[in-house]
Amino acid sequence: MRPAQDNQGSFLGRISIRRNQFVDVNNEQEQEDLELFQKHIADRFTELLSPPSQQPPSDETNTVASVAATDQIMSVTWLRKLMDVFLCCEAEFKAILLMGRDPTQISKPPFDRLVPEMLDRSIKALDICTAVVNGIDSVRHYQRLAEIAVAALEQRPLGDGNVRRAKRALANLVVALSLEDKENVSGGGGGGGGGNKTTERSWSFGRRSGGSSAASKGGATIGQLKSSSWSVGRNWSAAKQIHAMATNLTPPRGNEAAGLPQPMFIMSTVLVFVMWVLTAAVPCQERSGLANHLPVPPKHLNWAQSLIGIHEKIGDEWKKKEKKGSAGLMEEMTRMEKLGHSLIEFADGFHYPAEKDAAESATAQVAEMAEICRRMEEELVPLQQQIREVFHRIVRSRAEILEVLEQAGKLSAPVV
Amino acid sequence: MDSDGSKLETAERIILRWDSTASEEARGKMIFQSDRDEVDRFLRAVDEIQRSLSSTSISFASSSSSSAAAASAAVDDYEVKANSAIQIAMARLEDEFRSILLSHTTVFEPDSLFLEESSVSPSLTVEVGDDSTVTPTTDVAAEEEEINSPGGSGSGRLTRRRSSYRSTSSIREMDLIPPEAVSDLRSIVQRMVAAGYSRECIQVYGNVRKSAMETIFKQLGIVKISIGDVQRLDWEAVVGKIRQWIRAAKVCIRVVFSSEKRLCEQLFDGICIAMDETCFMETVKASALRLFTFPEAISISRRSPEKLFKILDLHDALTDMLPDIEAIFDSDSLDTIRAQAVEIQSRLADAARGILSEFENAVLREPSVVPVPGGTIHPLTRYVMNYIVMISDYKQTLDDLIMSNPSSGSDPNTPDMDFTELESKSPLDLHLIWLIVILHFNLEEKSHHYRDTSLAHIFIMNNIHYIVHKVKRSPELREMIGDHYLRKLTGIFRHAATNYQRATWVRVLNSLRDEGLHVSGSFSSGVSRSALRERFKAFNTMFEEVHRTQSTWSVPDAQLREELRISLSEHLIPAYRSFLGRFRGHIESGRHPENYLKYSVEDIETIVLDFFEGYTTPPHLRRR
Repeated sequence: MRPAQDNQGSFLGRISIRRNQFVDVNNEQEQEDLELFQKHIADRFTELLSPPSQQPPSDETNTVASVAATDQIMSVTWLRKLMDVFLCCEAEFKAILLMGRDPTQISKPPFDRLVPEMLDRSIKALDICTAVVNGIDSVRHYQRLAEIAVAALEQRPLGDGNVRRAKRALANLVVALSLEDKENVSGGGGGGGGGNKTTERSWSFGRRSGGSSAASKGGATIGQLKSSSWSVGRNWSAAKQIHAMATNLTPPRGNEAAGLPQPMFIMSTVLVFVMWVLTAAVPCQERSGLANHLPVPPKHLNWAQSLIGIHEKIGDEWKKKEKKGSAGLMEEMTRMEKLGHSLIEFADGFHYPAEKDAAESATAQVAEMAEICRRMEEELVPLQQQIREVFHRIVRSRAEILEVLEQAGKLSAPVV
Repeated sequence: MDSDGSKLETAERIILRWDSTASEEARGKMIFQSDRDEVDRFLRAVDEIQRSLSSTSISFASSSSSSAAAASAAVDDYEVKANSAIQIAMARLEDEFRSILLSHTTVFEPDSLFLEESSVSPSLTVEVGDDSTVTPTTDVAAEEEEINSPGGSGSGRLTRRRSSYRSTSSIREMDLIPPEAVSDLRSIVQRMVAAGYSRECIQVYGNVRKSAMETIFKQLGIVKISIGDVQRLDWEAVVGKIRQWIRAAKVCIRVVFSSEKRLCEQLFDGICIAMDETCFMETVKASALRLFTFPEAISISRRSPEKLFKILDLHDALTDMLPDIEAIFDSDSLDTIRAQAVEIQSRLADAARGILSEFENAVLREPSVVPVPGGTIHPLTRYVMNYIVMISDYKQTLDDLIMSNPSSGSDPNTPDMDFTELESKSPLDLHLIWLIVILHFNLEEKSHHYRDTSLAHIFIMNNIHYIVHKVKRSPELREMIGDHYLRKLTGIFRHAATNYQRATWVRVLNSLRDEGLHVSGSFSSGVSRSALRERFKAFNTMFEEVHRTQSTWSVPDAQLREELRISLSEHLIPAYRSFLGRFRGHIESGRHPENYLKYSVEDIETIVLDFFEGYTTPPHLRRR
């Protein structure tokens, strides 16, 4: 996190130097900048939609690891790339918005409307970042349950005890993965109430029945005691938040389309899109109807093609999952859920000593699960840090824009 | 092997007796809530099987290669069986662990913490005064009374504790869980870790303590609130929340988090490397993030002058807590929490600096042009001076935050200020002086809107006098502004008073001069009566006019008002007395002297007392 901040420092330094150099950005220069910005957006999202194909490692023994490309859409690696893309777009946008610009310009119409709208969106994005960071904590929780199952099933000789242990963890995992969103939906009316209920349930559990059915049902309790209780705010809803960010987001028309409103629209679209992807990827407070809340930018816009492509892919997946109730579309989580179910099946039919075929297929699945856990272990915390970095970047940009507005206020207001 | 075998069988039987998946009876009871002997038997059984498992793997490793296959099959069978028993035992212990943890999640009483915090200082002084041997009870003096039916059904166990905290000004750890329960929990942790079940242990611990933490947060009044919500609140509501947050956060960090950390150490330290750290992180990470959402939201809210002091309060509270935050979240995995606290603190500092600079700008540009009636103190002056006095109350904090001098002279529209005379002043002092300079600058602009220049001078005199008065009344502020600049200000309002006198009274006093009264070439009387009559008439008219207007003017400071009257009387009265003395006879000997000799010296003295009283309508003049 520290080095990222240092970069930021030098980046800001550059701006202030260049600001002095470009006292006058003429129109032609600005047009050039805008076109370049759009091109960069298009390029970056195209790469996210279809990453340059990588040669799979020639060593075929390592089959499990190469089952899924690491940077498949919605994989944790891909999400991290998405964060990088966002940070790049944001830096470039801020340069266009603020560098060498006469401060009074962005306080005049239509910017007196567009800028406050943008600032308002940024506040909403901050809350989404917090919600997503909490959501990733939930994913870490699934990861640990999966790790228990992996550790138990990797034991040789594999006996009933190990399998029972794995089953217990897997049951918790599967319940947690499928309940997460339903729980959030039901608790949506009052986030606090929802969390409270689960707490009480587990309490009375411990007292009255003295953990009687804990062995069989205790897992469900574990599954329910998760980030939903650490929600962002009462009645806060990720879906509503995304919806609110998107409501006043319309492509600039006429004269405005050629000027600064265009990159403002693009950047806001990217912001809403990225926040939408994050809320779809990991458990998040109240997401019903999430797929419908993202306005698709007009198809004729060149820069938006790949973004629309990604949106369609994820939107379809979301609609499929929404009915079932799902913790999130993160690729590793989806695979984890599938593996979890089939390993439970294996465990249900297990008798010592294990059948050879079943054992072999289970071994492969365990290896895949282990690989998923490893990837999560490596990438979830950095992803959280990137999201915090996105948070900080948004905060800083907001502060810089406010500062410019203040300067504009100074210049435009008459001295007494 | 035989005795070992039978021992193992016994151990297995004990464990199976408590298999909740198999026996209805086992499902309804908890081992640790029943007989202590049974607890010991169960734990010994687990140890027995665990020991046998580790020794078989050793014997397996050392067995000769020829009989390896047969031996390994036998060992496999044995291991599978023992593993199965271990799994059953561990599932049981996991439930026991959860149950004990859950039964101790109600003891926290934050209200008492708050209450005792406020009654801290008196009891402290009593303690020091009463006893010569001051016993430093730095540690938590926790009296515990356990209402516990010994050996009885465990569900009736109730733990009440009263812990006294002398203050939350530093870390105060409390027993979240009583020592005997801690030792039970620790005995479970040891078995679970030895059997490789530490992950399960961490899961259960994290889940229970996390939800306990949520209850505590509710009790502390730390509500779930999003950054967006905070931005929408009225500032007044925010002020209340800031106060509440500071109190809650101090307890949360110094008592709650530190106690959680200690509990983790008590349960896990020395059993498994870094397990205490992991569990602590599991428990507090989300709640710490939530705790800091509120100050985070404040630190990025839009700036305005009225926010400065609450932002400073928040900044001070965080600064105060930072060493504790760093001590409690000292592991690498909790680096983000420390970093977040530091970031918020520095953003709050930025906000404070930004507000001060915006305030300066607002003072400079305050645009009202309607003159204040009667030349009294402008609301802007009052506002700015009260603000400056408040700033001086926050001197300690702001001195650290304000590191650059005010940016005077950068703009041709702003006044000049020469800082060379004020070299010894801190940047904050200079900012305060600068605020007064630009306030004065703005007031001068405003004074041009008075049609009567005399009133413009009164306005400046009043306002600058008010500034000086405010500065002198606060020793702290006086020290900051310094006598040098204060003398300058005093000079300014004195000068304004002089200017006023000149503007109003030179004309009036001119009517009392001798010049022009003596008729040239006349030896008999030497004074022209008609000229004299004109002079008296002129004086009366002007004096009445001045009285009419200036009795509606206002000099709110009684002393200043008095001084001003005395000073003008000192010029006016002797001049009038001498004029009257010398020329009264000339008028009295003519016709209708009462038309010209309207006021005696005493009348003038009395009438002057009406001046600057701020009457809404001028009082009637009393004639003799």
